[in-house]
Amino acid sequence: MNPRPRGTTGGGPFARLLEMLRPDLVRFAFWLARDRAVAEDVVQETLIRAWKSREELKDQAAARPWLFTIVRREHARLYERKRLPTVDVDDASALGDPALASDGDAGLDDLRRAIMQLPEEYREPLVMQVLGGLTTAEIAAELGLTQAAVLTRLFRARNRLRVIYGLPPGEDAE
Amino acid sequence: MSNECTHFRIAIGGEPRMLSPEVSAHLATCAACRQFHAETVSLDGRVRAALELPLAKFRKAPPPARRFALAASVVLAMILAGGFWLLRPQSALAGEVLDHVRHEAGSWAAHDVLSAGEIAAVLQKAGVQFDSSMPVVYASACPFRGHSVPHLVVQTASGPMTVMLLAHESVTSRREFSSDGYRGVLLPAGQGSVAVLMQHTEVPDAAAMQVLSGVRW
Repeated sequence: MNPRPRGTTGGGPFARLLEMLRPDLVRFAFWLARDRAVAEDVVQETLIRAWKSREELKDQAAARPWLFTIVRREHARLYERKRLPTVDVDDASALGDPALASDGDAGLDDLRRAIMQLPEEYREPLVMQVLGGLTTAEIAAELGLTQAAVLTRLFRARNRLRVIYGLPPGEDAE
Repeated sequence: MSNECTHFRIAIGGEPRMLSPEVSAHLATCAACRQFHAETVSLDGRVRAALELPLAKFRKAPPPARRFALAASVVLAMILAGGFWLLRPQSALAGEVLDHVRHEAGSWAAHDVLSAGEIAAVLQKAGVQFDSSMPVVYASACPFRGHSVPHLVVQTASGPMTVMLLAHESVTSRREFSSDGYRGVLLPAGQGSVAVLMQHTEVPDAAAMQVLSGVRW
């Protein structure tokens, strides 16, 4: 135990940074797991791991992509460790999870369900890019793909969502 | 649409907000691809809004189907286990933590930071290690469910926080609880668990995490 002098706080800038980014980490974990309870567990583990490894983060500006990659790895680890059953997307949508419901914006609800139903290989890089702000190079490194492969997956993800949004799909060079 | 346009649209669809000079040059000369780009940027705004889930709704009670499943599993477990041991899961543990904290209400008023020696003596009695930079203002080795348990109060930016290091109580997942102005959370910590509580405010995740990261059984 190493108590600090009276009047000091225990958290510090790093703890505040984690608190600030936590909401988006929960959202990201949810889009990966498609289950609220699992998302909360993943973020809990992520925050502990990040706290223990905080010395590794040299630049606070890089905290967001750094934490997102920890969330992704903790999510994978949780499934390896607990062998959780895969979420049935149709069931998840049918349950009308309140997390997916907007305030009267039916278009947004449809888009959320469409994102939920994207294959993982498209959904994951899309969420990493749009919500996490990761570059295609960072996504490629994390997923073990080439940048070109990541661009193609992102294009295909958006192509599927264009239809939900009432737009004609782009031509795929597949 | 030319093959060239197809190539550029994949680049636009892959990264609509970060165009290469090559794509930008193409957009300057191709109205159809310019429209495709504008549509994609607009779509991306909606995608971002869709991904930003309302967390307030996120934290509400589980949906009815899950509640039903939980209730069904509880009933089944009662039948299987004869009912008695059911009274000891996490909610019962949370209740006992609350009772204990209520009985040591004076602990919240402590404000003098304890010495490392004073804290070490309490931890040693319980056979627990706790390495944290959080200032500890109260430490007692309390009897709890047949074991000696470190009951600490630490100062945080949000006020005093009670910490109970429960080496002998295993919980399967995070569980929040509240009663009479106390708000707390039970957290799994290896083979044991940790209970953290605050008065009139939610336990900040960062503070709970800081506690968890310092516990060794």
